[in-house]
Formats: sequence, C-alpha cells, structure tokens
Amino acid sequence: MDLKETLSYAINTLLDKGMDDVEGMINEYEKKELNIEAGKISLLRTTFSNSLRLEAIKDKKQSTISINKLDKQSIDKSLEKLIVNVESSQYDESNDISEYQNPEIFNKGTLKPDLDLMYDRLKNFNSFVKDKYKKVLLEAVTVDHNSSKSYILNSNGVDFNINKGMYGFSSMFTSKDGINTSSFNYTGVEKLNLNKKLNDYGHVSELLRQSEEQVKSFPIKDKFLGEIIVTPHCLTEFISFLDYSISDNALISGTSIYKDKIGEKITNKNFTLTSNPVHEKIDSGYYITSDTYESKNITLIKDGVLKTHLLSLYGANKTGGRRVPNQGGNYMIEGSNSSFENMIKDVKKGVLLCRFSGGSPSDNGDFSGVAKNSYYIENGKVMYPIIETMISGNIAQMFLNIRNISHEKVDFGDCILPWITFDGITIS
Amino acid sequence: MIQSLNKYKNSFKYYTELRVQENRNIRFGLLNGNLISNDQSIESGVSSRVFKDGDWGFSSNAIITDSSIDKVINSSTDNAIFLNSRNENKCGILLPEDIYNHEFNYSTKKNKNSNSYWISFIKDLDAYIIKKYKQITSRKIFISNLDMEKNLLTSSGAESYSMTPRSLLYMILTVENENEPVELMDVFGGLGQLEDNFDSPDVFYSKIDILVDKLIQKSKGTHAKAGLHDVVLDADLAGILAHEAIGHTTEADLVMGGSVAGDYLNKNVASELVTLIDYANNIDGNICPVPVYVDDEGTKANDVTIIENGILKNFMHNKDSAHELDMKITGNARAYKYSDEPLIRMRNTAIKPGMDKLNDMISSIDNGYYLTRSSNGQADSTSEFMFGVVMGYEIKNGKIQQAIKDTTISGIAFDVLKTVSMISDEMVWSSGGMCGKKQIIPVGMGGPAIKCRLNIGGR
Repeated sequence: MDLKETLSYAINTLLDKGMDDVEGMINEYEKKELNIEAGKISLLRTTFSNSLRLEAIKDKKQSTISINKLDKQSIDKSLEKLIVNVESSQYDESNDISEYQNPEIFNKGTLKPDLDLMYDRLKNFNSFVKDKYKKVLLEAVTVDHNSSKSYILNSNGVDFNINKGMYGFSSMFTSKDGINTSSFNYTGVEKLNLNKKLNDYGHVSELLRQSEEQVKSFPIKDKFLGEIIVTPHCLTEFISFLDYSISDNALISGTSIYKDKIGEKITNKNFTLTSNPVHEKIDSGYYITSDTYESKNITLIKDGVLKTHLLSLYGANKTGGRRVPNQGGNYMIEGSNSSFENMIKDVKKGVLLCRFSGGSPSDNGDFSGVAKNSYYIENGKVMYPIIETMISGNIAQMFLNIRNISHEKVDFGDCILPWITFDGITIS
Repeated sequence: MIQSLNKYKNSFKYYTELRVQENRNIRFGLLNGNLISNDQSIESGVSSRVFKDGDWGFSSNAIITDSSIDKVINSSTDNAIFLNSRNENKCGILLPEDIYNHEFNYSTKKNKNSNSYWISFIKDLDAYIIKKYKQITSRKIFISNLDMEKNLLTSSGAESYSMTPRSLLYMILTVENENEPVELMDVFGGLGQLEDNFDSPDVFYSKIDILVDKLIQKSKGTHAKAGLHDVVLDADLAGILAHEAIGHTTEADLVMGGSVAGDYLNKNVASELVTLIDYANNIDGNICPVPVYVDDEGTKANDVTIIENGILKNFMHNKDSAHELDMKITGNARAYKYSDEPLIRMRNTAIKPGMDKLNDMISSIDNGYYLTRSSNGQADSTSEFMFGVVMGYEIKNGKIQQAIKDTTISGIAFDVLKTVSMISDEMVWSSGGMCGKKQIIPVGMGGPAIKCRLNIGGR
C-alpha cells in the first residue's frame, strides 16, 4: 500500500469497527543535516522517518494515537488500542472533526536537497566568520533540508496532500577575547532555497558584529523607568503572549485577559498584527491547521483593535466563539512610522533589547527577565553593551505603549518582523 | 525490541554505534473538567553513527529489519566518507574507548492499569478541587508517562539495554484577584511508570490543599523589589541553579564553544561550602531520578564532580570532547530519540547537602526573600543565568512574611556561588526536569536549600 492507501485503510477500518468520525495524517520525512561544532564541520546526519496520527470519535468520546510504523501489523495493533482508548474516554459535545472541503494538493520547495550546495554554503559561512569575526566561536551551526510527503484524510471526505521541502539554517555563537566572554547569541531561518550566502540570512552578520563587541559588557548604573527597542530577533517572545492569550487554552480556561475584548482596543492604534501561513512572502507557513482546515491568512489586530480570537474547532465549540482557519504564527506587523536610526535617536534613556531571557509571563502579562546581548541607549545614542540588566513590566501594557515601529524588517522565513519601541519598562 | 544487536557487528567498517530505541508516551489532561488530552504515541527505530578520520556520519530509519539496519549502517558510513572527501584537514583521530556492558529495567512490577483508570484518577482529583475550593477559577490536571527503551552496541564491544520510565502528574490552578488571574503549578512523580508513582488519588488530596493554600497566599502577594538581595533558594531553585547556571557552562562542547568555565578549571569559582556533582545513577545507593549506567556511546556513566569545595574540577564529556581536551570520558553522551545523535547532557545535577538547617538560614536574613518554586530557566556562556520564580516569600527580620508575585532572578553563577554562605542538610529532587539543547531530554535536578545573594526582577 502507498501512503494514501495506508491512511485510507486505517480510517476505513476504524469506521467499520464502529467509530463515528475519524481523521488521520500520514507522513514520510527525510532530513539531511550538516553540523558545525566548535568551529568545524563535524557531522552529516540523514534520517528517514514516517508517522501516522489518527483521531477517532464515537458517541462524542475522543482519543488520538501516533505511531511511526506503517506495516499492517503495527497499524492493526494501534487501531485496536485507539478503539479501547476512545471507549474509555469522556463524553464531550465539543469533540468533532472538520467538515468536507474541496480536495487540494499543495507543493512547496524542492524535495531533493542539494547536499553539495549545503556543504559549500556552510563551509563558506565558517570561513566568513573566521576571517571577519576573529573573536567569534561558532558553537553550533546547522544547515538542514527537510522534505516530507503528507496526506490528510477524514471521514467527512477531507482529502489533502502536501509535498514540501525546506532548507534551514541556524547558528549559535559566542565571542572570546582573552578571558572576556560574550553572552551566546543565535538566530535561524527557514527558506525554500539557499540562493544567498548564509551570512546574508536573518541579520546574522549584524549579530556576529555585536557579539564581538559584547565581550566587554557593563552593568547599567541605576534602576529607571525607560524605553526598550525590541529587535526582530526577540519580538516573538512578546508576541507569543498575545498569541497564547487569544488561543484555545487561555480562552477555555477563562484565564485570558482578552476573553471579552474582540472589537476593543488592546494595543496602540498604530499596531496591526497579521498571521500569514499562506502568504507569498512567507517561506515556512502551513497549509492545513491542526484541526484540519485549509489555512487562511488573517488579521488578528487591526489598528490596535482585536479582530478575532484564534479558536480551533474544539475551542470554538467549547466557548461558543468563532473558529478561524489559522493557528497563529507566521507573523507580519504593519504600522511602521520610523526608521531604526530615528527610533534610536528618539530614546532618551533605555535599552536596545537584542535577546530576552525571561520567565514565562503571568496570565495578566506581568513579566521580567534578563536583557541579553543588549545595549544601553542614552540621549539618542547607543552607548555600550550591557550585562546583568533586568527588565520588567506588563506585556499587555507594553503593546498599548508602543512608540515607534520600524519600516526595516527581518525575514526569518516563518515570520517577517520589525523593530518596535515600547515605553514604560522598568530597567534595573 | 531486538534483544541482541551482535549479529550486525560484521557490517561495521569503522568506529560505529548502533542503537535501537523505542519511546512510548501516554498523556491524559483535563482543562476545567474537559478531557482535552487522551493521547498515546509510540516512536521507534534504529540509528547508526560512524566516526572516521575526524568526521561523524549518522543515519536513522523508523523501520527495524535486517535490511533497514544494514541500510542505516551503510548510510552513516557513507555520510562520514562524504565529509572525509570534503574535509581538507582530515586526520587519523582515534576516539577514547570504553567497553562496558550493562542491563537495567525500571518497568513496574505491578499490574498495569487501563487508560480509563488514569482518566478516572485525574477526574477524581478534579472533583476534589471543585468540591472543596469554590474560589478556584481554572483547573488543569495532566498525567503522563514516558518509557525510553534502548539497546546499544558499539564496535568497541560495549553493549547495553535500558528501560527508563518516567511518570508525572501536573496540577495547575488559577484564582482571580482584582479580576486578574493568578496561577500556580506543582508537579509530582519521577522515575517509574504510573503504577509506581501514583497509588491512589486520595494520596494527593493533601498536596492539593497545600497547593491551593500557596496559591491564595500568592494571589494576595506583593511585587518583589527589584535589585540585589539576600535569598534562600529552596531545593527546586538550587537544582535549577546547579543545572542551568553551572551545569551547562561545564558541558565540554559548550566549553569548546567559548563558555567562560573553560578559563576557570582548577580555579576557585564558588564558596568552599559548595560541592556540585552530576550524579550518574545513585547517591549512596539511592537511585537518582534519571539513572544512567551506560551512555549512548557505550561509555560507563560515572559521577562527575564539577565543583569540589569551591574549586572547578571537571567538565562533562563525550568521546569527542574528551579526545579534544585530553580528558577522561565521563558517560554524558545521551540521545532523546532513536533519530537523535548523542550530545553531552547532564544526568542528575545537584549541590551536595551541607550542615545547616533551613530555619536557621531563613532566620539569618534581615531583609530578603525565600524562593521556593521555579518555572523555567536559561543559562549562558558567561554563566549569567535567569530563572522564573513562581512562588516565594519576603523575609523580614528573620521571619517569612508576605508571598510575592511571579518574578525572575538572575546573576553571574560563578559570582553568585561565591556568595553562598549556608547550605541546608537535606537533599530533595525536583520532579519533571526536561532540558532543551537541540534535543529535549529528561534530567534530574535538586539538592539542598542554599543561602546566597542575587538579583531579583520586580518593581
């Protein structure tokens, strides 16, 4: 049986055995990964894998099972387990699967990696760093290619096929000068091709430059209330609070501070946040949501006003809210009103926050953490790299206190983000 | 699982590790009484890693048959040869070898309960909370089990079989204070399957009572005052300090990547009260939360005394780093899934208990904090660390006072450890440690309470 036939067999068997609704996804993956460790290309990894995930519902009782063996014996065994698990589950009126949608085939990227190109790009990056940034030590760098063939079917007639091949590049590094050591820093991108040199992706050259000067960092002199310019590399740390607070878990549990805020202003009026899994500029999106709907780009916040929650089918059934064909991520931000250079000039006293190491924010948005790889700004000038500096505040309040958004942006492949200035942050 | 891999040894051309592994997960979760998680997964396969002339080749396949095993051995060999062909500086490096054979199996000896039993178990706990605590506005209860079963053979002759289960119960409760949610979590369990860690739901009623009591204290809590303070870190935080702030900086791959610890070997890095050890599998015969007897390179797992009486003594190694730094292999190479290559990972990392009593430590602080529970933590090559703190109290005039709201602590670990002035005499392991470093992996963390001075975020 091929992949699709195998999934059809599993679904039909479950229906024959009395399940009311069945949904499944079957995948075949291959990964090639080249690694630099401690400055040397040291490992080539190849992995072949499969996965089969099945969800079944009977009398509104639901369960899922995942296996990575696709032989008939393994599948039959897993089907038996799944049926037992469904029958021992709990009645929940909200359990359901997606309704019929038109069959679609999605193709993205190339399924076959160019290993020689991957090696050459990685080798050139290694040489580039050694030549240009002599204090930088490349701790761990990977270039990989992930290809997958997937089928998604359900008993309502859903029939999707996704064929996808993506390249990834990630780099983690530290600088040393004698006994002086910088904080480590890292960045990564996911792209459809490796057309550019690796040092041209994800603003990594700037991070390498900063890393060298961060071998000598200094504590700030006193505690103050000021502004932070959050770089694209750590903006998702803060956006993820918005994402979490408008998604299933926080809304079902009732702990979201945005549970009754659709149509209301929750951020500065210049801020527009969109989630774009199928946008032409986003290389690494998703075609199908985890509740098996064809993905759509949506606007979450428009001119500061919350337009929608991010509810799945289950979350919508449970809360009475509206389901959206989108599960967040792939963020793009509109509302730019400044250049990065002018944003720096506008800060009287604050921090250029390049990496944030913080605890999980509270449900009300309170947060605190350490400003890493960051800089002190005074009277419109970047003064010096900082160490042992904490920032704290409230994320919900931060988004209301946006002062500037840059028109420069960084493309990470899975999102495209600007620099944003937030006011009212405690820096100590 | 295949019981012996010896018949494949003839296919090895160079230094080779062959591993067959199965990870089995089950997870049940209630959110406000709704069963939102009723999931089971089984993931297994075979991997091979080959070392030749300074380069590593790795390959894995989910299919475990004679032909697929031959295929991954050949594919990993081809990968090493590909790197050899492109590597201009190839050399005939020989890795340190260790031949150690061991088998252990921590499967439960009890009869296994059905999935419906475990759903009923968490529903019982949920019902207890609803009945007794009307002020709780949100309840999340999860119970899970992870079995990691591995079979390893190396071309050096090392062989091992291991079955290491871990089962955990999470309870996350929320109350509202002035219309704002306040949350607190606790986690129970550890080494062993569900049947070994969770006898009966009523055993956990008293733990729920304690959790709710602390949550209500926290909901009325005050913001910590930002700045440098004297603190007592309870075992949960002392464990994460040992793991995140010191442990990671002394993993030899991070040392080679520029960690500041590389400059401190045999130097004073902590108060002489501090001895910090990455335990392999037991302390005086008491089994640690994540016992490792043979690592995934076939090396016997030994305890690593990282800091001894304040002096940095050792790093944690795999074969590669031990060769590079000309040090002894320690048995710290571990992989999470069959498709993962072994990385240098901690096992059970803790500061050794001292002589002090916790009450005396609290009494010795005029104005500071007693911090009892962490959420997450991150380390850095500089040894600067950050931990989320989700439960703690003010200490004033030697007495515990008001609870504090969520905050963060930070510092330069090797500076903070020099401020350690008291260490309690009790050893407590935290449940549920999971470390992320390319791959996730279960780890043990814990220790005594320590008194030190560090930076607290807040207002």
